Amino acid sequence: MSSARLPAPAGALIDREQPVEFSFEGRRHAGFAGDTIASALMANGELVLSRSFKYHRPRGVLTGCGQDANSLVQIGDQTNVLADRRAIEAGMVVEAQNVFGGLENDYGAWLGYLARFMPVGFYYKAFYKSYSPWRLWEKLFRRLTGLGVVNPDAVHGYYDKQYLFTDVAVIGGGPAGMAAALQAAKSGCEVILVEENKTLGGALNYARFDADPKPAAKRRADLIAKIERTDNIRVLTDALCNGWFTDNWLPLFQGNRMFKLRAAAVIVATGSYEQPMVFRNNDLPGIMMGSAAQRMIRLYGVRPGKRAVVVAANGDGYGVALDLLDAGVDVACVVDPRPAAKPCERQNAVALRGVPIIHETAIAEALPASGNRGVVGARIARITGEGQLAKTVDRFACDLIAVSVGYHGTANLIHHAHGKMSYDDAQAAFVIDELPAHLFAAGSVNGAYSLNAALDDGHRAGWAAAKDAGFDAGRKPASKSKDSGASPNYPWPIFAHPDGKDFVDFDEDLQTADILNAIAEGYDNIELLKRFSTVGMGPSQGRHSSLPSVRIAAKATGKTVNQTGTTTSRPPFSAETFGHLAGRSFEPVRLTAIHNRHLEAGAKLMVAGQWLRPEYYGDPATREANIRAEIMAVRKNVGIIDVSTLGGIEVHGPDAAEFLNRIYTFAYLKQPVGRARYVLMTDQSGVITDDGVACRFHDNHFYVTATTGGAAAVYQTMLFYNAQWRLDICVINSTASYAGINIAGPKARDVLARLCDDVALDGEALPYMGVREGHVAGIAARIIRIGFVGELGYEIHVPSSQGEALWDALMAAGEPENIKPFGIEAQRVLRLEKGHIIINQDTDGLTHPHEADMAWALARKKPYFVGMRSIAIQHANGIERKLVGFTLVEPDDPAPKECHLVIRGAEITGRVTSCAHSETLNKVIGLAYVAPDQSEIGNRFEIKIEQGRMIAAEVVALPFYDPDGKRQEL
Amino acid sequence: MSLAPQDKLSRSPIYRQLAELGAEFAEVAGMACAMGFGGGLEAEVEQAKSLAICDLSALPRAGFKGREAQSWPAAQGLVISPDNNMSLVQDDGALVARLADSEVLILSDLACESGLCAAITQAWSPDPDPGVYPVPRGHTNCWFMISGGHADALFAKLCGVDLRPHKFPLGAIAQTSMARLNGIVIRADLGRADVGGTLAYHLLTDSASAGYMWMCLLDAMAEWGGAPVGLTALREMDT
Repeated sequence: MSSARLPAPAGALIDREQPVEFSFEGRRHAGFAGDTIASALMANGELVLSRSFKYHRPRGVLTGCGQDANSLVQIGDQTNVLADRRAIEAGMVVEAQNVFGGLENDYGAWLGYLARFMPVGFYYKAFYKSYSPWRLWEKLFRRLTGLGVVNPDAVHGYYDKQYLFTDVAVIGGGPAGMAAALQAAKSGCEVILVEENKTLGGALNYARFDADPKPAAKRRADLIAKIERTDNIRVLTDALCNGWFTDNWLPLFQGNRMFKLRAAAVIVATGSYEQPMVFRNNDLPGIMMGSAAQRMIRLYGVRPGKRAVVVAANGDGYGVALDLLDAGVDVACVVDPRPAAKPCERQNAVALRGVPIIHETAIAEALPASGNRGVVGARIARITGEGQLAKTVDRFACDLIAVSVGYHGTANLIHHAHGKMSYDDAQAAFVIDELPAHLFAAGSVNGAYSLNAALDDGHRAGWAAAKDAGFDAGRKPASKSKDSGASPNYPWPIFAHPDGKDFVDFDEDLQTADILNAIAEGYDNIELLKRFSTVGMGPSQGRHSSLPSVRIAAKATGKTVNQTGTTTSRPPFSAETFGHLAGRSFEPVRLTAIHNRHLEAGAKLMVAGQWLRPEYYGDPATREANIRAEIMAVRKNVGIIDVSTLGGIEVHGPDAAEFLNRIYTFAYLKQPVGRARYVLMTDQSGVITDDGVACRFHDNHFYVTATTGGAAAVYQTMLFYNAQWRLDICVINSTASYAGINIAGPKARDVLARLCDDVALDGEALPYMGVREGHVAGIAARIIRIGFVGELGYEIHVPSSQGEALWDALMAAGEPENIKPFGIEAQRVLRLEKGHIIINQDTDGLTHPHEADMAWALARKKPYFVGMRSIAIQHANGIERKLVGFTLVEPDDPAPKECHLVIRGAEITGRVTSCAHSETLNKVIGLAYVAPDQSEIGNRFEIKIEQGRMIAAEVVALPFYDPDGKRQEL
Repeated sequence: MSLAPQDKLSRSPIYRQLAELGAEFAEVAGMACAMGFGGGLEAEVEQAKSLAICDLSALPRAGFKGREAQSWPAAQGLVISPDNNMSLVQDDGALVARLADSEVLILSDLACESGLCAAITQAWSPDPDPGVYPVPRGHTNCWFMISGGHADALFAKLCGVDLRPHKFPLGAIAQTSMARLNGIVIRADLGRADVGGTLAYHLLTDSASAGYMWMCLLDAMAEWGGAPVGLTALREMDT
């Protein structure tokens, strides 16, 4: 056992039967299971955990509980691991962060000598102008800043998320939280008790509430035993509640899981942060919170020093002195900044053990060990006024300074919930003025500092929360506390030193003068002060710098602390990993019933909304040739494409035709049963939003298709409007119900006829835009004769569970014709040849039908359709652009790409929306928006392509292919 | 000998995943249904009591929507809950779920002894207009049953609704987001409650996303040792 390791019962969390070896900065160390990295290092005499961010000053344990940036280390790929929270593991390799040449001899420490040249706001002052030397310095600063080294090749971890539900959530498993949970549970409600640490108990685990530690230990044991016996309390330890969100939604992090907890009522019993004292060299390793020293002793069995000076401005500080004495530490003296008064029980106990208690004094300066790697003594001086010290000083040799001068409530969750707080001068603390509905506070965060007061406050909050959650909580519990209510907070623990190094913010190496200088420069509002000086912006987010900086700002500006206020605290409470946020995210993927057949056929897939669709089939190395072959199969022979992703919406009811007449631009009242008709949807502003076809299978039944990406929106739009129109209809989204296959090409009918014996397929019996119900390959099918690709074609819709069987049957039936599947790319070219637009490719968020040359799809004689009035106004005002077909004047010019601009002089008059080389027509064809006066057939315009080259194009009539429509109407 | 799913025209959207897991198929209502996974009935029953998923996509189901969605099915003899988002088991074992004033869902019993889905589908005619219209639930939705004591915990990893048994009673329905998909969850425990029934839920969701949902469920249930079981095990437990 190392000399710093204490015998049991010290070290409640360690298992001395399980030694664990690990390394830190390349040196091997031994600890015990349950040790944190920091405690194990301290047990081995290693006090320096890190170097400070700016001046690279050595830093050691400050809070001992993960509430400061001193303990940030790197373990493998994990950056910013809290050394005073992470337990050691066998073989763990721990490295320091933000060091150059190692932690021991960090040559970044030379930056400390340049401190006078880097005043507060240095970056803003030096680099804000365009001619600033930032570019010269950027590389250096990039290297100097940042914490830890990210491994971009790090292996993904498995993280997930889980919902939790409860009636009452208690955040914080200290005495107040445990009392609150027990009280709430009495009502019968479900309680979840969340504790950040490995065990319940909070301050009962390490603090000394009385001279005799045994009563508090028994209270702790009793509370935990009661909780364990209470079935309706679920305890989550090692679980961090990282924020409060609307409706009591709480994210809890435990291991690799994020719980999303919903609670009817929440009790915040998060305790408080012990606060540091500001004096020269107050950041040296060996200077720590009194509670940190106690944690080292009680939880890990580590003696934090050999000879200590204890700063005690409250009874808890005397408890620290007693614990140090019990641990064999020589307590040189207790420095009490308060005037001598009636001593508390713990102070008397310290005095009885012969420790000098020096009142009305403070530490003027900590004396550094070589290289600032520790403390060798403390100079103390008499307090002569607020923040003022006498020049005469006493010196005490010590290697530990334990500071207990007060607390600052851990009120982050209360801030997140927009609770109101104000500074109470009598308490020297921010106190809660008002809490939002269903939120309660208990314990020291609520100003109840003593053990009895915290327990009473917990019972009160538990009762109130259970009642608020709708349970019979009985009578309000009576208060048993007889505490004086004296505040443990010393109002001005700030003693600036003329030579500086009196740190207010350890994260950012900000000294008292930095805060004062920022205020002197005009940043006297606390929010501005924060942003200019960066106080509170480091990893510990102002846990220890917020209160002193507010006090300094208040004094410097002549305001009260309450008038000065605090900065806003937002979630997250503590750093959270990307793994927690990104882990087990859900990204639904929709696959058609035929998906696996596409894979088997060598399809290259592309994303279309939530769907995966074949872009083309075959080797990517021959992509263009593959697509050309698919196109030619359709033009010359027969091809099939999976169109299951198209939206399918059933509109039933006596008013079905009237409904379509209102929701779409065309006319549907007289559409015959057995016929399909094009549908074009516009919104109230007249913008095109979707298209498809409406197939009438019955007077009261239309089957409407929609675009792949637009189906859900079309369905919602239909429901939205009929909620107002109240027509007698019923809209059913049947997109996933049907698999759709389009068989197209001059031989399509021949192939289909082999599988279909109850529907006549000839052009007379089933003409273009005809629809029928029948069977294909024995499968009940809706057959729609349409021609998006401009050839004889049939779209066959069957129940999705039978889609694969239909595909197989069609492929087998088409084998004699060498039927070929084709993908989206081929379809895009085929439809372009036919001059059909694709919504959202050839239209945008402003396109109305006249611009898209689709006035033919507007039924002007009907009284109303959605967008009708807007379209009429736009038409009356005149259009500013028009969609036209074009070819290139010089056939050898390269094909423009989508969004290449149409340029006239200095004016952009339009853009290309679709363009491709047509194998069928042996030329480049495309669609583009041009100015109206450029839209006449035969007009020429210029397109700016890559590298600014201008090429000439000519407006041509649409469609490019089969203008008479004879091929699709075969 | 196990049936090959591709021998039937109708196929479960996840039949390949089932086959890869060693499913033994038999015909149920015209489709190949995974009846077991080769581990033995007793083992699968134990699995289903702990945590299991079963693909019921082959089983008959029907839906109706419209202003007469309560009166018309009732006229056909269906007993419908007076409350939305509650379901009732019919005398023949089928389950009728009231999704809204204007929508009902009908699920076959696990044994497929009820002919209710087929009968009511047959009974429907567009003439004269009945004010209620068929929803093709058999094709729109895949259908899984998640059973076992950990089932509610499993759902907590996918869904923001509290489905714990003491908060979500037998027959209750949640129409909610499940792994970011719209889903219908119905609590339908296996076996009689008075003799120690097993917690179980029907889950119906987008059939085009069945593979995605199946993988989400398998992944989420792994921490409790959840695994797929066949229909035979559920039938055994539901007697």
